Amino acid sequence: MGLFENMSQEPVQTLNLRRPVVVKPNDTIRAAVESMRERRLGCAILVDKREHPVGMLTESMLTQLIAQNPEAIEQPVKEHAAENWPWVKLSDPILDVLEALEAKNVRFLCVVDDKGRLAGLTGQKGLMEYIADHFPHQVMVQRVGQAPYLHEREGA
Amino acid sequence: MADDKQKDSATGNFQDPLEDFEPKKYADALEKALAERTVAEIQSQPYASVFPDTPVAEAVEKLAGLHVACLLVEEEGKLIGVFSDRNVLDKVALEFDAFKDRHVREVMTENPVYVYETDSAAAALSVMAVSGYRHVPVVDVNQKLLGIVSPQRVAAFLREHAPQA
Repeated sequence: MGLFENMSQEPVQTLNLRRPVVVKPNDTIRAAVESMRERRLGCAILVDKREHPVGMLTESMLTQLIAQNPEAIEQPVKEHAAENWPWVKLSDPILDVLEALEAKNVRFLCVVDDKGRLAGLTGQKGLMEYIADHFPHQVMVQRVGQAPYLHEREGA
Repeated sequence: MADDKQKDSATGNFQDPLEDFEPKKYADALEKALAERTVAEIQSQPYASVFPDTPVAEAVEKLAGLHVACLLVEEEGKLIGVFSDRNVLDKVALEFDAFKDRHVREVMTENPVYVYETDSAAAALSVMAVSGYRHVPVVDVNQKLLGIVSPQRVAAFLREHAPQA
């Protein structure tokens, strides 16, 4: 099976989903940023009482906020989070992730279960990891930092 | 056998050493594009950059004003770091007053992973997956900065080369 066929048939739940940072609407942006730092994630998700995602605060929103009004870091997340953030279901094909990322021009996607409850987080990196799995040779030879390729270092 | 080949060469009967070479077969057009197309086709040019002694506040304003997620930090045309939304999140956002007048050099990611313009598209994508950086600088063989590969460009590339469903 080719890469495209795999992406068309395999469900989102086979991706390496991240456990999202979940914040309450009245939490401050400072608290959200601390959680994002701790978990090394670039976004925090707001959920309602039914655990449905209702908003997202991303690192790019944070940059905009800091550039315009650094004091806003002490304000509640709900005042600056984006509503109606795109999502995919666990059972949707992985191709839907690609389409949503490109069509909505976002870096992160909420993943929900069949009842619409937040089940995970994916995005550009999750998709890249999935595709890179299909190119193990490229991953194997990838250098780290500015060191040359392994085969160059060994003179092969 | 070697003598025979030399004779063939001397008489003009060239024997192609690659005549038995079989090009790699790919399962679909997307895999072929990822393996055979180069980074040069998906990089963004021009790229946004700052100097290492740019004040952090100015760099943050540039990120926000250009609506980009990553600035390349260059010194004399050479890549020395990147300053991205993630650096703002990790190092600046909670201590903005303390960092706003300091230099980008102090908060940037040093020695970033980069790709050559001749690397395959899959190589750039693998850097993103393995190193965890979503934006990958592109350099030439002399280490001169040429551009940047963003995940948005990769996503567009994937859609462009995906077989029509």
